[in-house]
Amino acid sequence: MIRVQNLVKYYGPTLAVDHLDLDVEAGQVVGILGPNGAGKSTTIRILTAFMPPTAGSASVNGHDVLTDSDAVRRSIGYLPESTPLYPEMRVREQLHYFGRLHGLDRTARNRRIGELTEACGLEAILARPIGHLSKGNKQRVGLAQAMLHDPPVLVLDEPTAGLDPTQITEVRKLILRLAESKTILLSTHILPEVEKTCQRVVIINRGRVVAQGEPEELKQRVRSASRVVVDVKAPVEQVKAAFEKIQSVQDVEAYNDQGWTLAAVTARDNVDIREILADAIVENRWSFREMTYETASLEEYFIQITSAANIEAA
Amino acid sequence: MSNTLAIARRELSSFFFSPIAYLVMCGFLMLSGLFFMLTVFATGQPAEMRNLFFWMVWILIIVVPAISMRLVSEELRSGTIESLMTSPISDVQVILGKWLGGLMFFVALLATTLSLVFVLALWSQPDYGPVFTGYLGLILVGGLYMAIGTFASVLTRNQIIAFLLTIFLILLLTVVTYFLPRLLPPEWSAAAYYLNVNEQYDDFSKGLIDTSNFVYFISGIALFLVLAVKALESRKWR
Repeated sequence: MIRVQNLVKYYGPTLAVDHLDLDVEAGQVVGILGPNGAGKSTTIRILTAFMPPTAGSASVNGHDVLTDSDAVRRSIGYLPESTPLYPEMRVREQLHYFGRLHGLDRTARNRRIGELTEACGLEAILARPIGHLSKGNKQRVGLAQAMLHDPPVLVLDEPTAGLDPTQITEVRKLILRLAESKTILLSTHILPEVEKTCQRVVIINRGRVVAQGEPEELKQRVRSASRVVVDVKAPVEQVKAAFEKIQSVQDVEAYNDQGWTLAAVTARDNVDIREILADAIVENRWSFREMTYETASLEEYFIQITSAANIEAA
Repeated sequence: MSNTLAIARRELSSFFFSPIAYLVMCGFLMLSGLFFMLTVFATGQPAEMRNLFFWMVWILIIVVPAISMRLVSEELRSGTIESLMTSPISDVQVILGKWLGGLMFFVALLATTLSLVFVLALWSQPDYGPVFTGYLGLILVGGLYMAIGTFASVLTRNQIIAFLLTIFLILLLTVVTYFLPRLLPPEWSAAAYYLNVNEQYDDFSKGLIDTSNFVYFISGIALFLVLAVKALESRKWR
């Protein structure tokens, strides 16, 4: 549905996108993840035919963004970063205006606006000026606007940025509901976002794809081993010594916490050492109040991979 | 065409939400009324609007840039340009729509001064021919200034800069081309004189409709609208 090949974009002498490749199959929800300034918005702006690439090619629904940009614009519903809308217009007026620009006649506009009012929950705000809406409501108007012409592809640039947690959940639900019938490409720098909404994640940094795959798959690639934190009542040295004897334990860090010992135990080769640790605790007849199993999050992977790429580039 | 009209309509209606537009309206009416009282509405003066038209051309140097300064620059500043330019419409439609929307507001503003003609008619029998051509000429001058303003507003996201740049460009066509001919050799001064807006407008205020004046205004409008389209296109390549 979306094909990006060898995409390069320079802003003057600054390289924003560096030979980027990206493929999105029809019906997929794909998240572009990257730190600020990684080239997410630039890639999206090229895809939506807002600006041309310096080199390389991008196509949406089989239409090239340079030679067939009108067809690309008709295939894409685009929600730009920070959802720009006209503050002086009422929600209904804004939707009618963009419906008109997309060539919908009055009947078609009324029908679509009716459908989207329901889908995006706009009943209560249709007649209100956009300047008076909350950010969450603006986001819904933006989403409705992007879908007016019923495009097969939705491109959302940071759709949840700046929203409060309730609003984020609402917008995310809305996106997931839409995802049933559309191909969606969304960008974000918030990690839980992609874990929850996307089937595939593309991590980019400095204009390059540094990793991609399913969120679960990416997590497993994290090289940092899993850790278990236990809280037992025993002297620090004893706990340290006891745990270090265990074969599959790689490293133990222990601290005194008002008579209790907090030990962070790192396992060798990602082995699950919870049971072994529990046995050791029972064997030593220590009192014991907590055990936490920490797996690597996508967040850690993200930091690992983007900082590794930074070091490489430096 | 329908896209151009949709943009023009949106532009026109958004003016009525802008405090600046109301200020401009007030200022324009106040100044027109003042000059009307001073130069037209006096005992012994002929019943014609010509003196007022002369001053209105000067007032437009401030009024039109104040209308045009937000046309594109506001979209650049707020980011709505992205939604607009990723809709299936062309750069030409955007520029034409913006210019037309601004011009429609200007014509509405100008129409309010018809009340002055009404006052004149109450006390005398004005000749409506020159009044008509005078207003036609003002619309052409406004159209030219609006095209210059549209061009300037594509260049910057800052409305103040767009405003000042428009005034600067208009001053080139009014004040500079008025004084410049005196410093040039005669064969050049005629050309510089031809570029002067006030000179081109003079015939309209006299009640004359000359093709050459039309050619001047229409080609001036076309030139600056083309420049505006080119400027909008070039923004993408930066």
